[in-house]
Amino acid sequence: MSNFIPGQPLVAVVQRIEIKKLRQGDNLILGFSIGGGIDQDPGQNPFSDDKADKGIYVTRITPGGPAETADLKMGDKIMQVNGYDMTMMTHDQARKRLTKKNEDVVRLLVTRKSLEEAVKNSMGGYQRQ
Amino acid sequence: MCKLHASLSHCASVGQRDGLVRTKRQDSDIQKKIDHEIRMRDGACKLLAACSQKDQALEASKSLQTCSTRIMAYMTELQRMKEAQIMQKVTRRSSDAGAMDDRHPCKGKVAISDLRIPLMWKDTEYFKNKGELHRCAVFCLVQLGGEIFDTDMVIVDRTLTDICFDNTIVFSEANPGFEMRVELYSCCSEDDYSAGSTPRKLASKLSSSLGRSAGKKFRSAMEPGPCSPVGNGGATPLLLPVPSVPGPKYHLLAHTTMSLSHIQDSFRTHDLTISGNEECSYWLPLYGSMCCRFAAQPHCMTRQMMSGCLKVKQLGGEPQSWTKVFGVLKGTSLFCYHRQEDVEANVEPAFTIAINKETRIRASEKDPQSKVQNICISNQYGGEEVTHTLTSDSREDTHRWMEAFWQHFYDMSQWKQCCDDLMKIELPSPRKPTPVTPKQGSLYHEMVIESSDELSTVSDILARRMQELELRSQLGTSPNWIPASPHRCPQLSLLSSDASLTSDSDSHCSTSPCSHRHAWPEPSSHFPVLSSSPSRLRPRTFSLDAKLSTLRGRGFRGGGTFQCSCQPPTSSLLAPLPVSSRSPRSQRSTQTTLSCSSSTSSNSSSNSEGRLSPESSEGAPFSRPSPARRSLRNLRARLDPRNWLQSQV
Repeated sequence: MSNFIPGQPLVAVVQRIEIKKLRQGDNLILGFSIGGGIDQDPGQNPFSDDKADKGIYVTRITPGGPAETADLKMGDKIMQVNGYDMTMMTHDQARKRLTKKNEDVVRLLVTRKSLEEAVKNSMGGYQRQ
Repeated sequence: MCKLHASLSHCASVGQRDGLVRTKRQDSDIQKKIDHEIRMRDGACKLLAACSQKDQALEASKSLQTCSTRIMAYMTELQRMKEAQIMQKVTRRSSDAGAMDDRHPCKGKVAISDLRIPLMWKDTEYFKNKGELHRCAVFCLVQLGGEIFDTDMVIVDRTLTDICFDNTIVFSEANPGFEMRVELYSCCSEDDYSAGSTPRKLASKLSSSLGRSAGKKFRSAMEPGPCSPVGNGGATPLLLPVPSVPGPKYHLLAHTTMSLSHIQDSFRTHDLTISGNEECSYWLPLYGSMCCRFAAQPHCMTRQMMSGCLKVKQLGGEPQSWTKVFGVLKGTSLFCYHRQEDVEANVEPAFTIAINKETRIRASEKDPQSKVQNICISNQYGGEEVTHTLTSDSREDTHRWMEAFWQHFYDMSQWKQCCDDLMKIELPSPRKPTPVTPKQGSLYHEMVIESSDELSTVSDILARRMQELELRSQLGTSPNWIPASPHRCPQLSLLSSDASLTSDSDSHCSTSPCSHRHAWPEPSSHFPVLSSSPSRLRPRTFSLDAKLSTLRGRGFRGGGTFQCSCQPPTSSLLAPLPVSSRSPRSQRSTQTTLSCSSSTSSNSSSNSEGRLSPESSEGAPFSRPSPARRSLRNLRARLDPRNWLQSQV
C-alpha cells in the first residue's frame, strides 16, 4: 500500500474477497462505499498512507451487508475487481465496474495495512525490503 | 501625394539642413512628452498617497510605473538623438554624396494582441479551498522604439489558468529592424502595503499573530528585498528608481524581446525570461511562455507607393499598340486602371501586374523614336514567363517609376514575411468604459449546471431549502453547529453519536479528542473508524459538548434530521427519533446517516450520494434515494472537485 509510484510495478500483499451481490428489487448491491479515483483529490482520503495515492478505497461497510459477510474491511484498497485493475481508474469507472448488472459475484483483490503487518510478524526477524 | 512621398524619402537623406531642422522639432516634441509624463507621474503619486481602496491603489501604482518607464524611454531617445546630431555634424563635412545610396525601408504598423500567459499551479493549489487566495495584480508594458503602451490590469489568483490581456496594441511607425520589448509586472495584492494603510487589516493581522509566511510578505513589501530587479543581473528593466511612495509596488516578473522574425499572421508561442523566484511576494508560477498574435503591416503594403500615367504594350497584339493606364503601385501588385478617377471610385482595375519577390524588372534599351526607356516586368505564372512592357511619357517619369520599384523591392526584402500577404490588424476600438467584471470567483463556481432531463424543478429546490432553514431554526444552534467548511460537519455529527457506543456524554468527550490526535485513526476495536479526515477538525469546546448533549437529549440525534436536506424529505425523517430504546442499532444507523454532510451547501450533499435513510424503513435498509435527486447530486458532486466522492455500491 505504501510506495505507490504511478506507472511502476507494484508489489502488495493482497487478500481475495468474494462478494455475492444481494438482489434488492431492481438493484444488485454489494453493501459498501468506495472513495478515491484518479479524478479525485487524494489528500482527502483518510485511509491512505500515501496522500498521493489515488486508488479506490473502501470507505464504509454497510452492517449486515454482503461485503461485511465476505470480510471486506473499511480502509481496504481495492486492487482488482474480477480481474480488472482498479489502481488507475476514475471514481465513476470504478463504481461502474463494481455494479455491472450481469455479474452476480465480484471477486476483489484488496490490500490493507494489517495484512502487511501480519506478514511481517509471521516472518519473524526477516526484514522484507 | 504619392509622388511626393516617393520623392520626399530621398530628399530627407540628401538635405542635411532639413534633417537638422527636423531633429530640432523632434527634440522639442520629446521634451514636451517628457514634461507631460512627469506631470502625470506627479498626479499618480498624489493619487496613490490619497487613495484608500485597494483597487484604486493598484491602478494608481500601475500608472506610476508606466509614467516612469515612459520618462526613462523618452530620455534615452533624447540622448540618442543628441548623439546622432553630433555625429551628423561631424560626418557632414566628410561626405556629401553617397546620400542617394542611403536607402531607408518604409515604416510599418506593428500590432500585438490577444496576449495570453499560461500559469502552472501545482495541483495541490487547485484543490485547496482553505486559506486566503493569493492574489496578484499584473499588467504588461510593451515598448517599441520610443512608444510604450500598457495593458489593462488583471487580478490573478490560483483559480485562473492563464493570464489574458484583451488589449490590442498598435505601433504606427516601426522600422523593420525594430525590437519590441514586452514586460510583465506583478504586485501582490492581498497584504497591507505599508504601515499606514487600513488599520482594520493591520489589527486582524496582529491579532492572529504574524506567521512565517505573513512575516515574509511583510518584509518583502516593506523593503526592496532580494526580489528587486537590480538584484537579478542579466535583464535591465525599463524601470526608473520610482519615487518611494507608500503603496503597492510592481515588480518585473518576466520579459521578452521580439523582432521581425517573430511576426506571423497567426498565434504563436514565445519564450519568456522570468525574473524573481518563489520567495518573492509577487511571484506567480508562470509556465514560461507567452502566446500572442503578432502582426505587421508595412506601409508598402497598405499605401500607394507610386502612381502615375503609364502606357502598357499589348501582349500579342501589334508591336506598337500601347494602352494608356493609370498605374498604382501598392502591396504586391501594380494596379492598372483605365482612368485615374477609377481609383477613388473603387472600380476594378483593368488588369493587375504582380510585383513580388519573384518579379524581375529591368529597363530595356531606349526606344529609338521616343528616346525613353521601357520598363519590362517579368513574372512567372505557373512555369511560364510573362513579360509586361511599360513606358511613360518622359524620361523623368520612367526614372521615378524605376526608383519606386527599387524602393519597393528593398522594402519587401526588409519586411520579409510581412510582404507576402497583407496581415490583418484590428484597430483597438475607442476606449469604452471598462465593463464592471464580476468578482472572479473560482472557476468551478462559475460553471453552470445544465443538467439533463432529471433536474428537479425550482419549486423542489425551494422546498428543500425551506426545510433546511426550518431545521436550523428549530435547533437554534445552527451558527455554531454548522461549521463553514463542509468537511468539518460530517466529523462533528459523526462524533456526536458514534465515537462511543454509550450515550454518556462525558465519556464521549473524552474519547473523541483522543481520536483527533492521530492523523489517521487506526481501525482499533474501541470505536468504529471515522470515515473522514479529522486532521482539519475544530477542537472541541465545552460549549459544543454541552450543546451536543442537549441535542441528544432532545432526541434529534445531533444532526440526524439534517439528512432531510439531502434526502427526499419524507415526513418520517422530520419526526424526532425514538430515544435510545434500540441503542446500538440506532447508534449505528445514525452513524450512517450522520456521515451525510450538513445542509448548508448543496455541494457537500454530494457526500451523501447513495446514503441510506435507515429511519425511513427497517425492512429495506439499503434503499436508495430517487434517481432524480441522485443525478442532481451526482452532477453537483462531480462538478466540485473539492469533495472527495464516495459512492455506494
